Amino acid sequence: MDIALSEQSGVQVAAISGEVDLSTSPQVRDALLGCITGGSAVVVDLSAVAYIDSSGVASLVEAYQTAKSKGLSFALAQISETPMRVLKLARLDQVFIIHDTVDEAVASMA
Amino acid sequence: MSDQLELLVEMGRHFAATQDIEATMSRALERIAELMGAEGGALFVLEGDLDEGQFVCHASHGPVNIKGLSIPVGTGIIGRSVANNASEKVWDVQNDPSFNKDLDTQFNFTTRSILCAPLSVKDERIGAIEVVNKSGGDGLFSDEDLSLLEALAASAALAISNARMAGELAEKEVMRRELELAAEIQRGLLPAEAALGEGFPVCGVNRPARVVSGDFFDYFTLYDGRIAFTLADVSGKGMNAALLMAKTASLFRCLGKEDLRPGRLLQRINAEVCETALRGMFVTMVAGVYDPATGRLVLANAGHEPPLLYAVGGTFLALGAGAPPVGIPPELTGGGPVPEEVHYLDGGALYIFTDGATEGYVADGEELGADGFMAMIQDGVAQGQTPQGRINAVADRLSSTGLALRDDITVMVIDDQAPKQQRLDDGMTHTQDNSETEPATNQPIEGSLCAMTVPARAASLKMVRRAVDQAAEACGFNKEQCQDLVLAVDEACQNVIRHAYGEMQDGDMVLDIRRDAGTFVILIRDFAPPVDVEQIKPRNLDDVRPGGLGVHFIREVMDDVEHLPPPDGQGNLLRLKKAI
Repeated sequence: MDIALSEQSGVQVAAISGEVDLSTSPQVRDALLGCITGGSAVVVDLSAVAYIDSSGVASLVEAYQTAKSKGLSFALAQISETPMRVLKLARLDQVFIIHDTVDEAVASMA
Repeated sequence: MSDQLELLVEMGRHFAATQDIEATMSRALERIAELMGAEGGALFVLEGDLDEGQFVCHASHGPVNIKGLSIPVGTGIIGRSVANNASEKVWDVQNDPSFNKDLDTQFNFTTRSILCAPLSVKDERIGAIEVVNKSGGDGLFSDEDLSLLEALAASAALAISNARMAGELAEKEVMRRELELAAEIQRGLLPAEAALGEGFPVCGVNRPARVVSGDFFDYFTLYDGRIAFTLADVSGKGMNAALLMAKTASLFRCLGKEDLRPGRLLQRINAEVCETALRGMFVTMVAGVYDPATGRLVLANAGHEPPLLYAVGGTFLALGAGAPPVGIPPELTGGGPVPEEVHYLDGGALYIFTDGATEGYVADGEELGADGFMAMIQDGVAQGQTPQGRINAVADRLSSTGLALRDDITVMVIDDQAPKQQRLDDGMTHTQDNSETEPATNQPIEGSLCAMTVPARAASLKMVRRAVDQAAEACGFNKEQCQDLVLAVDEACQNVIRHAYGEMQDGDMVLDIRRDAGTFVILIRDFAPPVDVEQIKPRNLDDVRPGGLGVHFIREVMDDVEHLPPPDGQGNLLRLKKAI
């Protein structure tokens, strides 16, 4: 699992790759919450996620809730097939703001 | 004279029949004193030897009861009589240099005359019988009296000697019977040869050098199909070794069911043994766990003769000890777990044995040796002998030389029945190169597809996922279904890690992934305190919050989720099912 952070038009883009599970999800949580406490809007790029479990999903939910409470935008983008299936299983595809591409997500936050 | 004969015959009969020599002797003294007109009589038995023993009065008749009185050897008229093994007829006791006047004073008695006959059988001095103070007539004992006393002494001596021998025999018989009982109990501690059925991959043989043995071996099947085994050699060969063997064997049985890691198991057994073991006694011991499904073997060796790993093709590898023997106090050794090593048997076998096997004689002065042992095993394999047949052949050869066994012989074998399909272990594929001999088969595998035990830690989940993915794919699930099954099992394992064991505990999870009658079944077992099943509920999805999604995922993916009563009531057992 790896998280690459970059900035695009004042928005933090977190590109997650690899497997997000019980042992790696704390890193995802810390990275996302770090961006949000820094005061920036966040787009999470899930295009290279090969696996995500409930603890990974929980990290996304917690980050989303924290961003919301601070009035910051938070969106998921380019969700690959596997994490999408898990989000659907959790019925969270209805809850998160989801964009097809990172650029589209960043643009929506401008 | 006829009275005297009658007395002798009667006494002879009494002595022959009696269990109570003293009572018979008292009666004899009374009769003989009466017959001779003597005032009293006594029977003295020599306790100890003629150099520093004493004569103790075992029967007494007359005005003074001196039963229990003891006279040092070499003193008194009795002492002289026994030392010379000759009868004494003393008419003027008070002037005899050997006579001890103190006893007369002590008992307020005046000894005038004594007739004393030694009791002896062959060279064995048993004691003496004496009568004192003949009344009537001239007050002097006659030669006839002496002959009578000697005759009585002869039959009394024989009776006492016989009784002693019978006592010793009875004692030996009791000891022998106790030893046999101990041996029977010991044999009961060894696993029965046929108990686990034909073709069971582990078997052993034990031949004690004496009645009881200081060696033992044991094995039993764990919940997940793996087999825990041990072989040990207690220092010494006698009863103390046998008792320590029984204790160690019991500890293995009890603790071995709880602790699946052989290195830690040996550490725990050592701690227990050290608490109570006799100083200077120790146990060399090998413990391990073998998985027949994968051929994987985990072995820990505490000071034991190196087991031999036999590979297909006929080569042997000796596996040395990683720690000192059991019985060495942990404070001297650091006390950590015994190091473990992992091997794949790959259709080979592991031979574990005591030094009684390699140091046993095959001819006078010629030991079998490790080389001889290996040669016999190779021969056995070449001749197509069963594993039990091979190790029995070794034991038979060593016990058929006509010589007494030098030491207990114990041999155990873990025989890997060559894998028929690709084996999965710890999520890694372990392939047996048997492409030349294996006919192609498209038959779906039934039963266990993969059994694994992993530490209940987040780091284990990757292996679990890979194993589930491969097994699911092998059962023909499509990619999405495989992903779902992986997620469900992962979530179930997470619950074991996070909730059953929790933060504070460390333990194992046992997974068995199966195909049973068209259903994909995953059994997940842990050894944590029982979880309250009522508390495990899928969360309400409208309530958007982190956490609590795992159970929902499991129920969404699987057809059936059931908490089963765990074997032996220990831990938790979850069964997940999905139709193939």
